[in-house]
Amino acid sequence: MASHNSEIIGRSFGDRVLFGLVILLALVMAGPVLYVIALSLKDNKELMVDPHSVFHMPYTIKNYIDTIGTSNVFSWVFNSIIVAGGLTVFTLILSSLAGYGFARLNFPGRAVLFVIVLLGLAVPEQAVLIARHQIFSWLGLHNSYPGLILPGLSSAFGVFLMTQYFRAIPKELDEAAILDNASRFRVFWKVLLPLTVPAQATLGIFTFLGAWNDYFWPLISATKKEMFTLTVGIASTQMNFAQSQGIGFLMAQAVFAGAPILIIYLFFQKYIVTAVSGAAVR
Amino acid sequence: MTLRKLFLATISAATVMMASPSFAATELQVQRFFGACDADFGKNTDVTKAVGECGIITSLINKFAADNPDIKINVTTVEWPGYDQLTAQFASGDAPDIVTIHESVLSDYQSKGLLMPLDDVLKTVGLTTDQFTGAAKEGATKDGKIYGLPIDNWTMLYHVNMDLFKQAGLVNADGTPMLPKSPEELLAQAEQFKQKTGKPYFVQNLANETALFTRNLYTYLFQQNSDFFADPKKAKFNTPEAKKVVEMYKAIFDKGYTTKNLDYGGAINAFLAGEGGVQLNGTWVVGDYNAQSEKAGTALNKGGYAVYPYPQLFSGAKAQYADGHTWAVSKKDRSPEQTAAIGKFLKFFADNDFEWSRTGHLPAYKAVMESAKFKALPHRDTIAAIATLGKPLPSAVQRQFAIQDIVGEEMSAAVTGQKPVDKALADMESRVNELLANL
Amino acid sequence: MAEPRTAGTATARSRRKSVDIYAPQWRNFLFVAPYLTIFATLLVFPLFWGIWLSFHKADTFSSGRFVGLDNYFRLFRDPIFMQSIWNTFYFVFLTVPALALIGLFLALCLNRRTRSAAVLRALFFSSSVLSVTIVTLIWRIVFIPDLGLLSMVYGLFGAQAPAFLADPHLAMIGIAIATVWWCIGLPMMLFLSALQQIPQDIYEAAALDNANRWQTLWSITLPSIKRTFILVIIIQIVLQFQLFGQAWLMTRGGPNNLTKPIVLYIYNTAFQRWDIGLGAAASEILFLLILIAAMAQYLVTRRKADA
Repeated sequence: MASHNSEIIGRSFGDRVLFGLVILLALVMAGPVLYVIALSLKDNKELMVDPHSVFHMPYTIKNYIDTIGTSNVFSWVFNSIIVAGGLTVFTLILSSLAGYGFARLNFPGRAVLFVIVLLGLAVPEQAVLIARHQIFSWLGLHNSYPGLILPGLSSAFGVFLMTQYFRAIPKELDEAAILDNASRFRVFWKVLLPLTVPAQATLGIFTFLGAWNDYFWPLISATKKEMFTLTVGIASTQMNFAQSQGIGFLMAQAVFAGAPILIIYLFFQKYIVTAVSGAAVR
Repeated sequence: MTLRKLFLATISAATVMMASPSFAATELQVQRFFGACDADFGKNTDVTKAVGECGIITSLINKFAADNPDIKINVTTVEWPGYDQLTAQFASGDAPDIVTIHESVLSDYQSKGLLMPLDDVLKTVGLTTDQFTGAAKEGATKDGKIYGLPIDNWTMLYHVNMDLFKQAGLVNADGTPMLPKSPEELLAQAEQFKQKTGKPYFVQNLANETALFTRNLYTYLFQQNSDFFADPKKAKFNTPEAKKVVEMYKAIFDKGYTTKNLDYGGAINAFLAGEGGVQLNGTWVVGDYNAQSEKAGTALNKGGYAVYPYPQLFSGAKAQYADGHTWAVSKKDRSPEQTAAIGKFLKFFADNDFEWSRTGHLPAYKAVMESAKFKALPHRDTIAAIATLGKPLPSAVQRQFAIQDIVGEEMSAAVTGQKPVDKALADMESRVNELLANL
Repeated sequence: MAEPRTAGTATARSRRKSVDIYAPQWRNFLFVAPYLTIFATLLVFPLFWGIWLSFHKADTFSSGRFVGLDNYFRLFRDPIFMQSIWNTFYFVFLTVPALALIGLFLALCLNRRTRSAAVLRALFFSSSVLSVTIVTLIWRIVFIPDLGLLSMVYGLFGAQAPAFLADPHLAMIGIAIATVWWCIGLPMMLFLSALQQIPQDIYEAAALDNANRWQTLWSITLPSIKRTFILVIIIQIVLQFQLFGQAWLMTRGGPNNLTKPIVLYIYNTAFQRWDIGLGAAASEILFLLILIAAMAQYLVTRRKADA
């Protein structure tokens, strides 16, 4: 955060207005979350009788105890971690290899293939969803981790990003190594890959978050409760709260579901910021 | 053929041999809607203690699992009605063994050959169709075979907050609520209610809702003898009868005789908080509401809770739209043990249909319907009539849930003033027919 | 294929020695082969399979018959489909400028080393990590009548909160608000990183020229992050065009289809009406629209880069 001079908040009247605006936006950001947490700490029956009771005592942790005791939220989080984590690892491997290949190596048909991959960027996931669902049905891949991970691997974004990044690395680095008779893979692995860590971090974070938040594909592919990801699991209990557990319970479940990723985020915040600044805007 | 049988026999024999010493359970995948309530009933096996659809179904399944340790029941709870998911499951060949399906939806899956006819299984556990009520039998039978074990029949009801009705002066001398006998009377009473209590007569869930609108329309079309599905492939909604119904609901909306922006959960909350006189909701909440009305301090406890069929507002047939829930079984290769387990499960639900009927639904079995303990349940005297009033759409009409969405969307657009009534009815008809023409 | 390779090598060798290492070689293909395999089987093949399906009257449980362009004609006769296209554009129009401008505003205000700025940056980015089901749950609770946060806040002033998810004029705006709340972190971060890449000496030079902060903002900061601005717009258009979860979970596409985006139309058609062919045709239209948008953006950005 070096650019002090680009600050526009100082001590003048206009600055105070801006400051007020930022605080207002911050309230809008935090308000709903605090409200949900407050609801999660209320007795369901009390809420039913008087919605305003959310603002005063008594609060209870019963909903959290119930969530720990009976909700499937832990297995949903677990599935989401497997799927998002697996997708991230494989995306990084495939994209780095392909990015290096497209940026640095030559092989017959390279230019054409790269253009085709770029065109792949314009294919929205939803456009191939129906066909993909049929194909996965034939292969018996639904309700499995590969079934949830594989579709995301076809995204061209990672390849595009890594190719750009490899291209930006000075060619002298690997030329020197190759003239020393190092193999291509060795050059890739030992010389260039370490330089791409910022890009890897960026791609990794985007891939992880994208997979963590994906809803459409798991909705139609993970249809067994054992395979529900967090998004599908929460959605399966979301409607008709009055008929089931009560609103406080649902909110406690939502807090449980949201907390791990928020905590991870707070821990790695610094790296996430560096990652985004490192490579996304080149 | 014989070779294949021999092979299968060897395999299953081997499986049994390998399985029996370790007492491996037969696993059944059960999928249902009705909500999740594990916090309150997740471990409960005493069904008599359970209240409401979710509580009773959860406890019933727990009880079955406890009674049958050799059968492992794996329950997936889906968001109502769960048919998108079920369709995706059937498409991927991953359908659950036993699944809740509405009678009105059975033919969608049955016509594609996805469901197993249950006649033989039911016979092995001693269930025959003459034990079903007439409505249940009709609803579960497709092409002469049983495709779902009926567990109930349901319809929509007038759930009444008697405290507010007393304030509004809408109570008869015998203490029963005064209900309208014509559209004009309905509007007049709603006006009186609004004047006296300052609250809307109806609590309806109109926010992004389709089912309620559609059921209201069907009911009052029946009452005007409008045969809108005379041809199951071609609907007729652009009729004077339909217009009358839509205009009535539009007047209710325009004059503020109803809550407007509530979703389903919100409407239940609003009714229980005493925000309006009559909630239009199904048989399934009778048990819950009755339990509420017995708790001191609740809005329903103040003056009491009453529940009635939809009033007869027109001079035609005495009828109202009804449907039913069933347990259907997917078509699959199964071992004899699995089939037997399914039979046990279905038999258990048939045997415990009384417990299920405590929700407010009508039982699907004559014996329960005629039993003294069913008749002794609260409010059954006032809603008993739905057994004869209930009327489904012709069972040959396919995609009834998709149709319900279209009808509800268009009616909602008309009632809330987004579209002129005539245009909405014309669109309703053409959209439904476009759907049916492209099955 | 061997022809150009030898030719290339020959000409290359005649020029410079080091060019040799850029000669086309089949084994180099091994680096891209794993990805291309997945790309071909899970993207290219489904894409063409989808196009093939869209020419068929197919349903979920039976392979259909060839009907040519019939599904496309049905789509364009269907007012709901046209409505869904309009809804999608409307949603993009509501969210993308808001995300870009608020993101830029926050980045400008929070680009400083203080602890409070760091905390606020963390806060504004934190919602991005939540999943769509949690975000929609939170916002349904905010918007829900009587019990909702919004009606509580309005209640303080004795007013009736607008029915964000039920009112035909407000429903899409309600979804857009939830979406901006959810997605604001990424644009802000992208702008922040762009701001930090502006060389300090430019600002020092401006300071020497006695430029005030607004002049600095207009003539140095904003021009320097022009590319990032375009990047943010592109990323957000593509993302927001694919609206599904928020609409499905908050309004089910209602009231009266006013919040039904194209993706939800595809879902409805394929998984509720079982009309796979029609759903595939709608998917192809979505593909075409995004392709056009991508092409347009490519041309625009290229011209900007050339200039």
